[in-house]
Amino acid sequence: MFVNYEHENHVYNVTVERRENQFFVVYDNNEYTVTATEVKPGQLKIEIGDRTIKCVISEGEKSKFVFIDGNIFKVNRTELTGQKKTIKKEGNLNSPISGTVVSVKSKQGDVVKKGDVILVIEAMKMEYLIRAPFDGTIEKINFREKDQIEIGQITADIKKSEDE
Amino acid sequence: MDIIESSIDTSSKEYKINFEHYKKMVIDLKKHISEAAKGGGEEKIKLHKSRNKMLARERIDSLLDPETPFMEFNSLAAHDMYKNKAPGAGIVTGIGIIHGREVVLVANDATVSGGTYYPITVKKHLRAQEIATENKLPCIYLVDSGGAFLPLQDEVFPDREHFGRIFYNQAYMSSKKIPQIAVVMGSCTAGGAYVPAMSDETVIVKGTGSIFLGGPPLVKAATGEEVTTEELGGADVHCRESGVSDHYAHDDPEAINITRNIVENLNRPEKTHLDIKKPEEPAYDIEEIYGVIQKDSRKPFDVKEIIARIVDGSKFHEFKALYGVTLVCGFARIMGYPVGILANNGVLFSESALKGSHFIEICCQRKIPIAFLQNITGFMVGRKYEAGGIAKDGAKMVSAVTCAQVPKFTVIIGGSFGAGNYGMCGRAYQPRQLWMWPNARISVMGGEQAANVLLTVKRDQLWRKGIEMTKKEERELTDPILKKYEMEGSPYYSTARIWDDGIIDPIDTRTVLGLGISASLNAPIPDWRPGVFRM
Repeated sequence: MFVNYEHENHVYNVTVERRENQFFVVYDNNEYTVTATEVKPGQLKIEIGDRTIKCVISEGEKSKFVFIDGNIFKVNRTELTGQKKTIKKEGNLNSPISGTVVSVKSKQGDVVKKGDVILVIEAMKMEYLIRAPFDGTIEKINFREKDQIEIGQITADIKKSEDE
Repeated sequence: MDIIESSIDTSSKEYKINFEHYKKMVIDLKKHISEAAKGGGEEKIKLHKSRNKMLARERIDSLLDPETPFMEFNSLAAHDMYKNKAPGAGIVTGIGIIHGREVVLVANDATVSGGTYYPITVKKHLRAQEIATENKLPCIYLVDSGGAFLPLQDEVFPDREHFGRIFYNQAYMSSKKIPQIAVVMGSCTAGGAYVPAMSDETVIVKGTGSIFLGGPPLVKAATGEEVTTEELGGADVHCRESGVSDHYAHDDPEAINITRNIVENLNRPEKTHLDIKKPEEPAYDIEEIYGVIQKDSRKPFDVKEIIARIVDGSKFHEFKALYGVTLVCGFARIMGYPVGILANNGVLFSESALKGSHFIEICCQRKIPIAFLQNITGFMVGRKYEAGGIAKDGAKMVSAVTCAQVPKFTVIIGGSFGAGNYGMCGRAYQPRQLWMWPNARISVMGGEQAANVLLTVKRDQLWRKGIEMTKKEERELTDPILKKYEMEGSPYYSTARIWDDGIIDPIDTRTVLGLGISASLNAPIPDWRPGVFRM
């Protein structure tokens, strides 16, 4: 498993593999074999080679505070490897393909939630579901069952809910 | 590199339904594989062991380095064929590691019809040799076979890709400096005698191993001479008198030990260099693939969710993310090896085909292996697209795939239909390996489409004669077609006939691709030399 901790604006990438109470920790291309036991809740005894470290960890709201030998380290767990994620594009109401509308699942005036299926298009052996990209109310459905639809055509108009 | 963000909700009802459904398919798959691994059944196994012989799989196990993987090919060959009398086609093939070196193993299973060669057995043997040739892997033949399966001689003996090709391949590979080693652990009769005779080094087991062109009954019929098997072609004859064999073993374990020593002395050429990093597990649970794939194969799934569960750290450097979006292209690592991925996310349009061709060129230029995640219902059809030149854009992609000499790997993770199969490196395009997931489907078009095409043709023919088809007649025409496509489109039908290298549990995809890339590095990667692209 990968763990990334941020301490004073620096992200530390750590790989940890556990075998019972032994941990194989890789950091900065160095491998360490660590034995850790929880003496009592929040209090750890850690052995690395012939060194023994006692530490106390206290959970803050967003950060952890680690007390070792009188020093306090404030660390944050950061997401995965801390690199930026691929941004997911929001769904839209355009048809992804030219095909036939095989079923219409909502009608004008319906209140829909994000992800609700509005209509189904069939083309090239596949079914394409057009889902509501956000919560809202259907103002108009532009196609009926068995209609031909072209790629890019807008399937429905939805008025976004205000409370978002 | 960026990490793919998953939007799969593992607590949703849909996910759970998909997961359960897929899990069942995987359990089924494993059941079939373990059935086939039993070979000829308990009685035959008992008899085999009573002759002081180890089973094909035991021989392989003890030959390989301990704790190393054996990547088996076509474990379900001949599934539901030959009245199910040839589980695994009576031969075990795969890539394993001996003294740290990757080798191809071909082991006859004498518990299945005496290890004789059915048509599919020949195909499986040739396929293993092809893998060895393409990846420059030494071949080790653990011979224990009665030769061709005589009742089907017309499908086994005369043609180009039949029995004779086995020895052609041995000579050809040897000329390419690919070591050929035979271990004779059972009979090795007639044409089969050429397997050890054409090898660089040969081991034979006293008492059980025998090599001769004609067995004792044939000799008696031809010349009247009466000899025993051991006198005619046993270890003593061949190691002391004829020189057909080089090493004398008293039993299977000793033969295996000698074989390991042979491999130890093959000398090891440098592997092709790739920029390799420490492997990383994907950031998401691989098993979640079960829930990502829709139970209803007509419903699309987002292939990036699959990529996220296959590649190292779920990190993916996407190429042209906003263009030709129905084909996802990008770089990632699998088990530490760099790899270019082409994965379908819908029908192929002109833009997607152009993007794919461009991306393949980049991979070839940089000499990066390519993995195709195939789930394709075809290239888009319709007037608009034909006029837009989809045929020539598709052709560019097919041409790029063909000419790409970097190691190519194909995994059919969904549908494989029509020209989509060509563009996405189907069997004809010689990927180094081609694997299928248990949900895969493969046919020239969907059953429904084929039925409709044939129905339209028939209806028009009758229309010209002034006859109209009744609904019943229509059904009588379409039902058998639907049934045929349903049966023949199954991955089991495909794998039985060796249209692929095996069906795998999706969670093994990383391992299989990693081992495949590792094996491919035994051969050099040639420079990129494309053909003419129709512009």
